[in-house]
Amino acid sequence: MKYTPKLLTKNVNTSTTHPLKEFAILTGGILGALILVYVLLGFVLEWVVVPHIPQSVERSLGELFLGNYAVEDSPERQYLQGILDRLVEHEPSQTLDYQLHVEESPMVNAMALPGGHIVLYRGLLDRVESENELAMILGHELGHFAERHHLIGLGRGLVLLVLSATLLGDQSGITQFLQDSLATVESRFSQRQEQQVDEFGLHLLQKTYQHVAGATDFFERIQKEDPEGPLAYFFASHPSPANRVDFLNELISSAHYPMGEKTSLDLPE
Amino acid sequence: MLDLALFLILLTIGYFAGRATEHRHYKSILLREKASLHLPTVTSKMLPEVDQIAKSFLVTGSCVISIDYFKRILAVLRNIIGGRMTAYETLIDRARREAILRMKYEALGSHIIVNTRVETASIFSSASQNGIGSVEVFAYGTAIKLKKKL
Ligand SMILES: [Zn+2]
Repeated sequence: MKYTPKLLTKNVNTSTTHPLKEFAILTGGILGALILVYVLLGFVLEWVVVPHIPQSVERSLGELFLGNYAVEDSPERQYLQGILDRLVEHEPSQTLDYQLHVEESPMVNAMALPGGHIVLYRGLLDRVESENELAMILGHELGHFAERHHLIGLGRGLVLLVLSATLLGDQSGITQFLQDSLATVESRFSQRQEQQVDEFGLHLLQKTYQHVAGATDFFERIQKEDPEGPLAYFFASHPSPANRVDFLNELISSAHYPMGEKTSLDLPE
Repeated sequence: MLDLALFLILLTIGYFAGRATEHRHYKSILLREKASLHLPTVTSKMLPEVDQIAKSFLVTGSCVISIDYFKRILAVLRNIIGGRMTAYETLIDRARREAILRMKYEALGSHIIVNTRVETASIFSSASQNGIGSVEVFAYGTAIKLKKKL
């Protein structure tokens, strides 16, 4: 047998695909597919699952969350609850037992939690000047309940968690990357939702007070504030206040809602 | 956010460092392969006539190569949909050729290496948890020095 020395000139054992190209195809494809799944599941949740979640389930879900917001029945809370109750009377789809809680935190935020719980943060209360603008904020949150956004949000969060955990395991970098991408998708959804419930809140304000004075006050005031401070969360999760003011003003003029006398807010000590 | 920044930095470092190392390694492999071309390395078990053999001894060469961060991420993504794990191909290829080269280096002075075998093992500690992910290739054979050249 004759031995022929042979130098490798072409390497059949390695592919010639550029690694960056492969990376682009893989991330693009997988990310695209995941976003698609996420969006589709989001719609399924919104239209199929969430409308059929019975109120009893929602109530027990709410109890899970409520552990963080202990109810201390102060005169202040009762006063605020009174404003909420007045709005609820005019809320057509009222089915839940709406409860208001005040969270002692400098953050400017209000939340709708499953089970009809509305959490107002101290930072927000401090910036509110009239009952009417507070009613607008509460009406907004009631809108989230009416549209069941709090459940949809919960479901989406769950989908995201399951998707990233099963597919990517604990590769924290990629998971983070994925979450950031999906958060962008999510904010598209939420912008639409926020507008929807701003409209709901405005109509409720008109039904309750027979005028809409103060509807835009709060947003106009915080517009001028530093977007980095306690307002950071508010700005991140909601459309810009300027946009909301414009949107509400447009609605007010097209519906010919009147402006009346504002009621001042007298928070009991 | 910090998580993501760290991820992107590691990815970039992994990519450029990995590419540079690979490029340099291949250049050196090609050069040394050319230089050691005169030493036949075969897998056959057929030995020259026993009375022609002056000396025979075991030669081994082993090489451990690690993946870089970029390749690991590429592999994680590839794991999801399946297909050719191209990110690992060059890794194995380099390790195999390097191991054979080292074995040949150990056989300097002999006339042929017969019965060459190549084995591989993965050395890793839970690579999914950002552990070590590398491959070892181990080559061994019997170097033979003849009384007179073939
Ligand atoms: Zn909202």
